[in-house]
Amino acid sequence: MSTDTDRIQQRLSAIQFHKRVRLVFSLVLLGVFAFFFQSALSEVSFSIGEIVEYWPQFTAALGEFFPPGELFGFLPFVDLSAYWSFIQERNLLMTFENGNPVLGAVFVTFAMGFAGTVLGVPGALILGVLGSERVTPYPFNFIFRGTMSVIRAIPALVWALIYIPLGGVSPFTATLAIGTDTMGNLGRLFTDALEEVEDGPIEAVESTGANGPQKVVFGMLSQVFTPFIAWTFYILEINVRIAVTMGLIGGGGLGQVLQTQRGLFKYTNMMATILVIFLLVISVEVFSQRVRSYIRGSDEGQSVLGLIASFPQRMAESIWK
Amino acid sequence: MSTIEVTNLSKSYGSVQALDDVSFTIPDGEFVVLLGESGAGKSTLLRCLNGITKPTSGSITIDGEPVKGPRNDVAMIFQQHYLLEQMSAYSNALTGALGRTSFLESLFGRYETDDKHEALRALDTVGLLDQANQRAGHMSGGQQQRVGIARALVQNPNLLLADEPVASLDPASAENVMRYIRRAAAERDLSTIASLHQVNIAREFGERFLGMKNGELVFDGYRDDFTVDVIDEIYGDIETDAIRTERTADEPDGRPAQSGARAHEY
Repeated sequence: MSTDTDRIQQRLSAIQFHKRVRLVFSLVLLGVFAFFFQSALSEVSFSIGEIVEYWPQFTAALGEFFPPGELFGFLPFVDLSAYWSFIQERNLLMTFENGNPVLGAVFVTFAMGFAGTVLGVPGALILGVLGSERVTPYPFNFIFRGTMSVIRAIPALVWALIYIPLGGVSPFTATLAIGTDTMGNLGRLFTDALEEVEDGPIEAVESTGANGPQKVVFGMLSQVFTPFIAWTFYILEINVRIAVTMGLIGGGGLGQVLQTQRGLFKYTNMMATILVIFLLVISVEVFSQRVRSYIRGSDEGQSVLGLIASFPQRMAESIWK
Repeated sequence: MSTIEVTNLSKSYGSVQALDDVSFTIPDGEFVVLLGESGAGKSTLLRCLNGITKPTSGSITIDGEPVKGPRNDVAMIFQQHYLLEQMSAYSNALTGALGRTSFLESLFGRYETDDKHEALRALDTVGLLDQANQRAGHMSGGQQQRVGIARALVQNPNLLLADEPVASLDPASAENVMRYIRRAAAERDLSTIASLHQVNIAREFGERFLGMKNGELVFDGYRDDFTVDVIDEIYGDIETDAIRTERTADEPDGRPAQSGARAHEY
């Protein structure tokens, strides 16, 4: 009997020892984590004191972001007319001169995203298709995959900085940068889509006596035709958001208006611009989602409300991309 | 339209012997049914005949010409149809003409007018002329398989191969598809080799039978020689009731009863 108790006692102390070791290990890990977090905070000079000190300025600014006014003459609400007059004054949407439409900043931004996407697609197609292991044999496909990785490693904003000697700080440069970025990102998505094609139809095409290029086009690309179009629309969405951020470095369009108004501390005008950005990005997304769900033929696109709710997150993502 | 000669054909995948010294000759226009358990080597044999798979040793000649790789005059019908589901039945049928169309022409859909007629004629043969514009992905299993047949016919083949063409279809569609294959082969006087799982369908449609087991050819003969004992040899002892009942019924004269007689209508 006593040996039984001993064995149980032994097992218990072994478990306790094991737990103690784990505790120590966790504490060490927590300490290391805390050290890195503290270092990171001090690296960016993070200070609560600063937030407290400047809080009044921030709330004052917020007040200007949302100028008080009245709705229908009696309901307290944000003064929409202040926004509208700035949108009209700087021609953010569209104005008419002698009956002729003059396109506003919103169209410049959209044009950057749209033209950049179209310019990038052929390159994405070539790099993406050749980057697939099923088209180019193993070591050689990495030439194209590598090219796309290099392009993706550099954010679109940085590409714009690189292209500045070519076209100055202008929408033209921004469009080139977006096109370059598209080659890397869309090409990668194309390659991934191609990895999932089925062997059967390729074999079927091969058995008809088709040659190599015909095998690629009919056996492989025909299988991924709709995903390719869907991905292209997805990249168009992203590119329109990138086009906004391009303006922040002077690339023109809505982003540049935003940057200028920030410099002038005109917060109401900034908010008016943000509203137009919101309108543009949501419109493009709704359109793209509808097209994508249509060509996929089955699954429902996200609802308009869902799109609006997740808007800030996507905007933030595209800035850092 | 051609004579197929297979001599001492062997194929091994590592230590697995998929084909072991298979030899046979098929004269012009014969409708051959290939039988055997899963893994007996039926698919490998068909793939070798098609040139998709390279044999380890031995040779295949079609009209005296050796098979070295995929060729336009050998057409294949697959079990899973393998259509391009995004494209219409007509476009799928047209891919049969890829082998004689240059890359750029095929890329922009500029096939020869003759080929376009050929594609529609093939769809007519399989009874799908009116559905030519339908997307292949939206068709029923039987219809898709028939588009597969049409694609094979557009190749203008000398030899038609079918790898378990009706294995994934319901009995009615299976019979229907087999009838179309048979009809297409008869109309164009095509030598045909079809592997099948269903013994009853095989009896109904076959003219000559090849039985395979463990990569070896264990039976080669015509309808009259294709007895229950042969089926036993190919498949081992079958326990399923329906098949056993049929066997007892057959036993007196030791020869397939109902289906054999009806098949002569074709």
